[in-house]
Amino acid sequence: MKLAYYPGCVARSTGKEYDLSTRAVAQALGVELEEISDWNCCGATHCSNQDLAVALSARNLARTGLPVMTSCSICYSNLRDAAIRLQDRTLRDRVNRVLEVKYQGSTIKHVLEVIMEGLEGEEGGKRVVVPLGGLRVAPYYGCLLTRPKGGIDSPEQPQVLESLIRRLGGEPVEFPLKMLCCGGPIFMPQDGATSESVLRILRSARQAGAEAVVAVCPLCHLMLDAKQRLAEAKSGEELGLPVLYVTQLAGIALGLGPDELGLEMNSVSALEVAEEIYRRMSGEQQC
Amino acid sequence: MAETEAIGSGHHMTNQTGREFRDLAIRLAGDEVKTCIQCGTCSSSCSTAHLMDASIRKLVQLVLEGRKEEAMACESIWLCTSCLLCTVRCPRGIRPKAVVSALRQIFEQEGRRNKDQAFERLFMDQIKSCGRISEFMLSAVYPLKNPLSTVPIMEMGIELMPKGKIAWQISCIEGISEIRRIFEEMDRQ
Repeated sequence: MKLAYYPGCVARSTGKEYDLSTRAVAQALGVELEEISDWNCCGATHCSNQDLAVALSARNLARTGLPVMTSCSICYSNLRDAAIRLQDRTLRDRVNRVLEVKYQGSTIKHVLEVIMEGLEGEEGGKRVVVPLGGLRVAPYYGCLLTRPKGGIDSPEQPQVLESLIRRLGGEPVEFPLKMLCCGGPIFMPQDGATSESVLRILRSARQAGAEAVVAVCPLCHLMLDAKQRLAEAKSGEELGLPVLYVTQLAGIALGLGPDELGLEMNSVSALEVAEEIYRRMSGEQQC
Repeated sequence: MAETEAIGSGHHMTNQTGREFRDLAIRLAGDEVKTCIQCGTCSSSCSTAHLMDASIRKLVQLVLEGRKEEAMACESIWLCTSCLLCTVRCPRGIRPKAVVSALRQIFEQEGRRNKDQAFERLFMDQIKSCGRISEFMLSAVYPLKNPLSTVPIMEMGIELMPKGKIAWQISCIEGISEIRRIFEEMDRQ
């Protein structure tokens, strides 16, 4: 299978390990990724002019004839929203008047969807060579993976991450705040609001008995992982909860090594999670 | 007083500024905004409601009643994280997030300025000039607009630097002239 890949801006900086692990997991699943040529920023959550936001996404979608895959939930939501709004003939004509390559419709996938497809059936099950050994994982959905509706899963009762965790041999914990916004989009101007959200979410995961959190968006990850240490320092509270990208968690189970998944790039050690998984696997083999 | 009035019948609607504000906001956010029944589903779904001076429901009300100055003064406009839960849940198919976006746009078009608007502007200007976002540039320039952000941004930088997750180089895309045309065309109302 071949897909167009839209990395999004943070793939080159704060979300480097997401990009790295996305490419590694795609390869392990036999999915060929072709990066969209000369792609542009989708506007993230900062484009108040909604027609402009649609046009920025449309330029990216128009540059490939393949289904488009992205790992970022914000990009995923924006690309999907654009595809929905571009069904309106008037807006589509207006957008196409300024685009060099015209938009003619598109299919958009989140990397989570691609992983789920790759693990389907008996053949897919065989790919899980390092099962997670019952690791208790908190499925953090955040906001935009399921919004607007009509995407990968229900915006009210999503279960896709729980299914994935089970498929990988882990145990999803009951995590009441799994969809509470991390506040990432306003963290620069409104730092206090974000720190509070981060602490609430991580406490909820901790109380649910999680050994790790899985994230599907680079901004959520930046907040829950990098900001966790800063929030800990300020509140005097010790959380120490590793937050792995979905591609890192799946990658470990697919037998990929820590270097291929950028595990050493997380703020709260993701390497320890991998080591724990390896330890459980070798323990089981000895029994 | 206005709380008990029927939507759209407030005295503000008798003055021209109020009417123009209402019409522009509705044009930007979608005609369905007029069908709001003020049920408050948006506010009760809002992840930052506890921080807001006026709820999302109230912002919609201010728009429909043409109460421009009150709406423009709400900090709530800038506390929306665009999580879209309000938009997923609205029983009238309104996109309350689009109302927030409309208010942000009107705020800026009128030359009003604050630290939050400054961030949105910086972000969009970077796309317009380069085609992509450099988090490094955002972090370097934003504290000049909002000195209070300096410490949290620096702390984050110090956390990320040893991990090699700061990209110092800024590279613009080749199709930057196309991006500028897109901005010009879409900014035309």
